[in-house]
Amino acid sequence: MNRERRNALLLFSGLAAAYAAFRIAPGFGREELVLQDIEDPAGFRRLTAGQSSSGFDPFVGLEPQKNNDDLEAAKVRVRQNICAALYYDRPTTAGEVPVASFSDYYCPFCRVQTKRLAEMEARQEGEIRVSWHELPLLGETSTLAAKAALAARNQGAYPAFHERLMRSPFRATPEYLQALANDIGVDHARLVADMNSEEVLEDLENSAALARIFAFVGTPAMVIGRTVVQGEVSERTVQAIIKREREEGWGSVCRVA
Amino acid sequence: MSGGLKGRMAPLCSKVWHVIATLFAISVSASLVAAAETESFSNPAVEARLITAENGVGPDAASISAGLHLQLGEDWKTYWRSPGEVGLPPTIDWTGSENIAETDFLWPAPERFTAFGIENFGYHDEVVFPIRITLENPGAPARLEARVNLLTCSTVCVPQDFDLSLDLPRASGIDTDSATLISAFAARVPDEGGQSGIGIEAAHLDAERLALTITVRSDRPFEAPDIFPELGEGTAFGKPDIRLAQGGRLMWARLPVLAATPDLPDLRVTVTDTGRAATLQPAYAEVAPDPPFRIAASVPGLAELAWIAGIAFLGGLILNVMPCVLPVLSIKLSSAMKSGDQSPARIRAGFAVSAFGVLAFMWVLAAATLAARGLGLSVGWGLQFQNPVFLAVMIVVLVIFAANLFGLFEITLPSSWQTRMARAGGGQGYGGDFATGAFAAILATPCSAPFLGTAVAFALAGRAVDIAVIFTALGLGLAVPYLVVAAFPRLVERLPKPGRWMVVLKIVLGLALAATALWLFWVLAGVAGPDAAAWTGAFSLGGAALLALPRLSGRLRLSGAALSSVAAIVLAGYLSEANTPAASGATDWAGFDRAAIARHVSTGQTVFVDITADWCLTCKANKALVLDRDPVAARLREPGVIAMQADWTRPNETISRYLESFGRYGIPFNAVYGPGAPEGIVLPELLSSDAVLEALEQAGAGQVAAAR
Repeated sequence: MNRERRNALLLFSGLAAAYAAFRIAPGFGREELVLQDIEDPAGFRRLTAGQSSSGFDPFVGLEPQKNNDDLEAAKVRVRQNICAALYYDRPTTAGEVPVASFSDYYCPFCRVQTKRLAEMEARQEGEIRVSWHELPLLGETSTLAAKAALAARNQGAYPAFHERLMRSPFRATPEYLQALANDIGVDHARLVADMNSEEVLEDLENSAALARIFAFVGTPAMVIGRTVVQGEVSERTVQAIIKREREEGWGSVCRVA
Repeated sequence: MSGGLKGRMAPLCSKVWHVIATLFAISVSASLVAAAETESFSNPAVEARLITAENGVGPDAASISAGLHLQLGEDWKTYWRSPGEVGLPPTIDWTGSENIAETDFLWPAPERFTAFGIENFGYHDEVVFPIRITLENPGAPARLEARVNLLTCSTVCVPQDFDLSLDLPRASGIDTDSATLISAFAARVPDEGGQSGIGIEAAHLDAERLALTITVRSDRPFEAPDIFPELGEGTAFGKPDIRLAQGGRLMWARLPVLAATPDLPDLRVTVTDTGRAATLQPAYAEVAPDPPFRIAASVPGLAELAWIAGIAFLGGLILNVMPCVLPVLSIKLSSAMKSGDQSPARIRAGFAVSAFGVLAFMWVLAAATLAARGLGLSVGWGLQFQNPVFLAVMIVVLVIFAANLFGLFEITLPSSWQTRMARAGGGQGYGGDFATGAFAAILATPCSAPFLGTAVAFALAGRAVDIAVIFTALGLGLAVPYLVVAAFPRLVERLPKPGRWMVVLKIVLGLALAATALWLFWVLAGVAGPDAAAWTGAFSLGGAALLALPRLSGRLRLSGAALSSVAAIVLAGYLSEANTPAASGATDWAGFDRAAIARHVSTGQTVFVDITADWCLTCKANKALVLDRDPVAARLREPGVIAMQADWTRPNETISRYLESFGRYGIPFNAVYGPGAPEGIVLPELLSSDAVLEALEQAGAGQVAAAR
């Protein structure tokens, strides 16, 4: 047989086999995302695969209903610039997809989701940026935990607080807060004072208003770029949405405001 | 369509209702027909209502048996009084009720939900919380105003807050349905050890508050026990390590303490088992009770060791015909044939050295295993196949070997090399023989995992002696063909003389090597990502192609190929992705819980069990080719199907016992349970989509039948 031709043939079949192996290698399949545009706020869309959120009274919390006027005022406030409210008005580099995470320290699946997002953010620096929203729906202790975490932010200790609260049960006693402040190294007196500060309350109102606007029925919830996700979803799905947002350019919706 | 149906049904219904109403009117006063339950509060997560066993307050009745009846939607859960690390128990505020002195809310025994390492305790499907209501004025009418708060979660947590009210006029009589429902769930409320026959022998919390250890005794064997200690709101426990002994009548459990508060209340422990439960308040013991048996440090008897060594030996022998090892043996034999003029003594020595090479590699592996374990690293079998650089080296070597067998080039070493090699072996170098043996052993490791799961798991858990014995037996088994030739060197002469068939054989063996290289390439794509695999593949093929170019000078070809090979290896390491997100499975695997299988099946769900381990490459292949791909992946994600996965990377007594119950001692192991197959359908080691789908269909069949 012609030696050179045989060489070429073998090389070619080798390459073909390598290509075939490539195609069947794991993880090449793309996640099918089922997305549905929502009317209000315009430009956003909802992940509809999986959990159905219809049939619930929108947004019941276990706490006595907050002052409705405040909430309406907050809705008007956040509607002025939804993206800024969602993603905390921080500059975002191209290719970085913002994720707004809404969670409650007493909700089991929030713990799962929050841990997952925090890990992803650490691992994919420059690709994902998470802004954490406190959405305490499960009563007084939830609200106190959320306030404590937001108050800790004033002393730059939000991540530490967040991590700690996600690891252990929160108990709303003065002794517990004292011990927690000591462990994390924040000023206890200032923390307690800040828990009912205007800033913290407004932050909670903003998150609650956003939750109303996006019609969340519970926690956890996320807005990734312009995609609204209710409930805990797998990392694969989150990655697929992030990829899609990056490809399509999530920024379009934010300039509309 | 349903409206039409209703329309047609209406006349019939009204007739039936008429009869029922007449019958009721005869037996009880007509005003009581719907008195024993409230309107229900309903949404997709939960349907809730308040029920009472009595139709109303009877004459002189001092108490009422009520119940909060929750019908949870599919996949929705609600929580126990101690919900676990996070969560919220249901609460009822009775403000506004009339003629109520006291209410006693009872908690049926909970079940454990584990999601992504978070432990929760609660209820799914249906639950009734029995409520004992003491009346202020016996015999007087009462009104129940319940403001219910509860948390329901599926993948989203939705708080529920609703009012239920119920008027209880003066009336006698029992609502049988409600009474049955309440008493069924009242029977599930843990007792204090009387009926259930459960008693706590000892409980111990160590001074550092790291773990709670409890021993529980029962008058009858435990079936599927679980344990739920409570130490106040701020304290959370991890998953218990439960071990049964004394014919299942003694349970030993250790629970890690995840968080604890400085001031702990009295310990309360709830023990549940099939059909019974008890809540007990034990005093602390001074010392922690010893576990009934140790899992990791099992000291095997001599007979057991010999048995396992036998399995390892046999396994080693079988490995010779595995596609990844066979070519090595064949190369060795064909090289012996080619140089047919060799003296029997030389052949004997050569094969003996090869056998020694096999053993030497096994001993190196045993030593490495011991060293790694000494450093506290997790040890797995075939771990080196997770290292991209190792994989790249193997691919390069295999591609060049295969190219050589295809006759693309002849390896002609520079004369200086030849003389050096000749000198090293006293005229006939043994280095090559030794390398052949070691190479066979290296290639054998991934193939051995499926066959030798038990032996290897045993070895990794065992003492140094066990490891040495098992690895030696494995090596001896693998070396048997070499030893046979070494013992009877004349066997080589019996082989047919070289001729045209040799060319064919070389092509066949070359194909086997190429297939192995291809497989390793696929493993590399999985381990290091597509980029690293692509570059490694391209450069190793490029190296072989360079060698095959006849026009280039030998030196140029050799150095070019060497450069290309180095590039292939370096790039594999350099481009490897630390963690490929794409590799994370689409299926949300639940942790393996043998006890839960029957529970899930009893609620009509189908359970798919996958036992895997890091060192099991066949398992990885199953995962990548079948389990993580549609249609199987989609099927496993469907509601009503629970995918459970157990990791056998480290020895685990529970998993071993589970496998033993099927007469299996190694993995991959997959089984499907369901209403149609409560005992489980065991799938073959190498999965196919059809087999999995068919088993799921068969297991779920009872469900369809039941629904009809």
